[in-house]
Amino acid sequence: MAAKQLAAMTITEEFAARVRQEGQRERIMRYAPMLVLFGMILFFVVVCGSAFASVSNMVAILNQLAIPLVVAIGLTFVIMLGGIDLSINGTVGMSCALLGVFVLNNRLPYDFGIFGIMIAVGASLSVGLLIGLIHVYLKVPSFLVSFAFMYICKGIGLLSYSGQPPTIIDPVLAELPKVSFLGIPFITWIALAVLLVCIFIQEYTAFGRYIYAVGTDETILRAVGVSVNKVKVMVFVLAGICFGIAGVLWGIRLGMGEVMVGDGLMFPAQAAVVVGGTSLSGGKGGVIHTIVGVLVMTVLANGLLLMGVNPYIKTGIEGLIILAAVALTVARGPKVISK
Amino acid sequence: MSQKSVTDMGKRMRFRENFIKYFSFSTIVILIIFFYSRHQMFLGPANLRTLLSDSAPLIIMAAGMTLVLLLGSIDLSMGAVCSVANVITVQILNGLGAQLGSPALGSVMALLVAVAFGAFAGLTLGCVHVKLKVPSFIASLGFMSLWQSVAYLITPAPVSVAKVMWGGVDWNKITFGVVGLPLILALGWVLVLYVFQSRTSFGRGLLAIGGNERASRIAGIPVDRTKIIVFMITGICAAIGGYFLAAKLRSSAPTVGVPFTLLIVASVALGGTALSGGRGSVLGTVLGVFTVSIIRNGLNFMRVDAYWQDIVFGIFVLGAVTISVDRSIRGVVIK
Amino acid sequence: MSIKERAICFSAKDIQKHYGATHALKGVDLEVREGEIVGLVGENGAGKSTLLKIMIGADDPDAGHMTMNGQPYEPKNPMDANRKGMGMVFQEQSLIVSLNVGQNLFFGYEKNFRKYGFINWPRMYREAQQVLEEVDVQNINPRKKVNALNFATRQMIEIAKVMNVTRHAGGAKCVILLDEPTSVLSEEETQNLFVQMRKIAARGHGVVFVSHRLDEVLEITDRIYVYKDGASVGAVETAKATEPMLYEMMVGRTTTSEYYQLDKQIKPSDEVVLEVKDLGLAGVFKDVNFKLHRGEVLGMCGVVGSGKEDICEVICGDQRPTAGEVLIRGKHTHFASPAKAREAGVLMIPKERLAEGIVRTLSVENNIAASNQELVSKGGFVSVARIRAQALRWIERLRIKTSGPKVLLMQLSGGNQQKTVFSRVLASECEILILNHPTRGVDVGAKEEIYGLIRDMMGEGKAVILLGDTLDECIGMSNRVLVMKDGLMTGEFYADANDKPSQVDVVSLMM
Repeated sequence: MAAKQLAAMTITEEFAARVRQEGQRERIMRYAPMLVLFGMILFFVVVCGSAFASVSNMVAILNQLAIPLVVAIGLTFVIMLGGIDLSINGTVGMSCALLGVFVLNNRLPYDFGIFGIMIAVGASLSVGLLIGLIHVYLKVPSFLVSFAFMYICKGIGLLSYSGQPPTIIDPVLAELPKVSFLGIPFITWIALAVLLVCIFIQEYTAFGRYIYAVGTDETILRAVGVSVNKVKVMVFVLAGICFGIAGVLWGIRLGMGEVMVGDGLMFPAQAAVVVGGTSLSGGKGGVIHTIVGVLVMTVLANGLLLMGVNPYIKTGIEGLIILAAVALTVARGPKVISK
Repeated sequence: MSQKSVTDMGKRMRFRENFIKYFSFSTIVILIIFFYSRHQMFLGPANLRTLLSDSAPLIIMAAGMTLVLLLGSIDLSMGAVCSVANVITVQILNGLGAQLGSPALGSVMALLVAVAFGAFAGLTLGCVHVKLKVPSFIASLGFMSLWQSVAYLITPAPVSVAKVMWGGVDWNKITFGVVGLPLILALGWVLVLYVFQSRTSFGRGLLAIGGNERASRIAGIPVDRTKIIVFMITGICAAIGGYFLAAKLRSSAPTVGVPFTLLIVASVALGGTALSGGRGSVLGTVLGVFTVSIIRNGLNFMRVDAYWQDIVFGIFVLGAVTISVDRSIRGVVIK
Repeated sequence: MSIKERAICFSAKDIQKHYGATHALKGVDLEVREGEIVGLVGENGAGKSTLLKIMIGADDPDAGHMTMNGQPYEPKNPMDANRKGMGMVFQEQSLIVSLNVGQNLFFGYEKNFRKYGFINWPRMYREAQQVLEEVDVQNINPRKKVNALNFATRQMIEIAKVMNVTRHAGGAKCVILLDEPTSVLSEEETQNLFVQMRKIAARGHGVVFVSHRLDEVLEITDRIYVYKDGASVGAVETAKATEPMLYEMMVGRTTTSEYYQLDKQIKPSDEVVLEVKDLGLAGVFKDVNFKLHRGEVLGMCGVVGSGKEDICEVICGDQRPTAGEVLIRGKHTHFASPAKAREAGVLMIPKERLAEGIVRTLSVENNIAASNQELVSKGGFVSVARIRAQALRWIERLRIKTSGPKVLLMQLSGGNQQKTVFSRVLASECEILILNHPTRGVDVGAKEEIYGLIRDMMGEGKAVILLGDTLDECIGMSNRVLVMKDGLMTGEFYADANDKPSQVDVVSLMM
């Protein structure tokens, strides 16, 4: 804006202009993830040609999408609060390990069938609950609590099978990875079901609205009489459930209970959530945004693989994407304090 | 607020701070007695030497992390930076050192390059955190991912130091009684950092910034510069840690730093530094490192499953953080 | 039927409130009749906001009695107050910007729309439309996100929200509280707001209008309450009120000259140490010009939001101006941070002591040394002995009550904390000091000592910009007073020791 024009404005007008500018910036940021996604698809179509744009590759992408999607959805809710959950590696791994241990397997004498799945998800849920309770009631920053729980969960997972991952020999679970419906694998269907439930929670329940409100301004909720603490704890529980489901899906896909499956999940999930437009400061974005973010990350991984890029570069790119996306969305200014 | 309750608040805080140190100290004593009662060999010179020299890289890295945590920030990328420095060291030793034909010279070159890398990594992290206002935990998480991939790209698999180059790493084996040279160097480095923390204007700014960043800024403390310098020092510490590990193991691995992230945070927390910033000291961290080292060494000695370690240290971090968090100010939103 | 004969809708009698050492409300009264618009005016700190907080249930009174529609009224929280018919449009807006209009209108009342666990959004939006129409907002889709709306519309939505929640009070009459609603509105938007206020009143509800803009208060209200220093001065019929009369009622007693130690007030030298030319910060203040001389206390008056505090932040390097320039001893400066400003000799004592002034986890000596690390260094290393000696010197000079220099600052009382801040600032040897509410939250004794300290500083050749805690203090301590209103400088008064400007004159330019 020209300086001359600025000088002629009154202070109220200047203020309004500043608000308008911020609004404009926000609108651009809203469409940025979609543009990135389409740009990337275009790039890979041009570079990889039919290897990328084939039906079989689309199905492969859908297949690769499933587990990161479930993890990212859980994380989305936490980040919408303005918090973070670094426990992903541990909780997903623990859930996968416990699944292997508690359904019919080749190493340990347990066979709880469907209850095995419940134990796995339940353990992850309890971890989410504990993270939430410690964070909220003992006022420990969420990243530190979840950081500690990442290791605790990994330890529990490893301990559950004492080093040697059990192979799942439950006939139903062993068969599931091969099942597909309408050409889409079973695991992806489960992920889509989780997605639908979470969209429902976010959009059609008061709880979903409260998550946004907590991330925007906690004081308003207190004034209305909504329990901020309860909302926060519930969100961490929800995240725990999602991570648990992701762990179970990994176990089914892999056919064994293995803690290490969690290890590669955290970076793509964090990247997917922030790339999708859910801001780390909270209150913005949501599950639907995260779909775009997960697509970006999955298409990227898929495309790089097709291009024959060294797989180690992938994690590096994920790191850079996290940095760039956060730097673009975070609040700035001389008075902002970031720790 | 009445005068009495105000005084109580200060007392409570000092008590909490000291509680963790007393806890660490008594843990050390109890564990030594316990392990010794089980195995007389625990205090034998061989095990004592391993225990003490093994803790050297951890002391160096944890001392660096202490400074960052005093600010109230965190650097989760230390493990990855350590890995990169580790693989760089062995690469230079085996490459440049062999060309020069001098293990000692190669070793010095390797150290210089590793430290330069550490400083660079710290500088970039510091700038992204301070200038772009990206919270340190997420910025360092991004860099952790980046440096991890760099480490893999340099050498995807473990590499041993060539036998002719062992002269470049054998300083690690020098001992005086049960105390090895690495430990002496590490403690010397801690002393340097302690002088930095307590006797330079930058270092003294640290505690003020960690205690109240806004007030420090208004008081005219160069907050941004201090933070960036601290992240650089931390990067250098991580790099030196990687160099020490290369000397100790006589080999490099792209994942060598991974398990250190938790150990570093646990050591600092057990050393009485508040993870929310503003209180603590690098000297306390040495105590914390020994607590962690004795637990690890003792568990190994007892042949307890290594899987317990993650759980134990995770719980320690959680406990120490919970005790040291300042809950006295009301109305602060914790995210 | 004249207003006087109508039933009383809300009344508050002798409300008292303490915040620590401050006696915020010393027994204020308020009465709102059905269909009446009541104005509430007073200086900053007169107790208006505190009373509103108590009325809406965000704070409890220490003493006093309130009734609503004849019933005793003791709201437990804002939601409870809403149910009883009390609604408030907050100064800092209470809409959640990431949600849309309809969701905001019914925030906290979602269960009224729940069906089989789902929220029936279409029904909620239909009802939202109706609620909006009641306040004549027709062109806004309830599905629109709040952060896409301008402030005037947001205000209307707040009013709609408040109207809606108070509807649950049943047939009884409601009271709507408006706290500085016009500060971000244009002329046209303000008139629109007034139309709505009159409409609400016409339906028999009561409205309480708090504003610094006396012309608006005189235009819209039926009756005006004037508060001063936490007590009510009186209520006047608007028809009989004039601006000068209100100013007269608002300003406090002018304190005796001993209190501000006027005998020690010196004449500043002609040397200009700081000059501000056409300084501006987009959307906050603009075209600010003044000179500060050595040995001068320059007072800055203005209501909250007048931009005076932002000017201080710009001068001390905390914010960067968007227009104009700052000259220190004739040299252009562009401070990147307060650290750079300190190097040039400019330092601020901030308003919020706890949040901005002290590091409560550090000791007294380290707090004092925070702004002058270089001065206590020797050969590049900080000397602990010098820090200790310096702290002891200041503890003695300012009579800081502490059992030693190593005591943590959180263990000191407010007044002694503030003295520590003064020690730090004085020890820094900066020449240009910005004192932003230096006596805020300290007891009378400490206040007097601080006044003496400021006088002594002037003798040492420092220059001070003072934002007083009260108007009286600001005028009493200053050599010269600048008045700010809505981001613009509206006046300048010379305030020699024997010729202080009257508070009424200053206030009339502030509001």
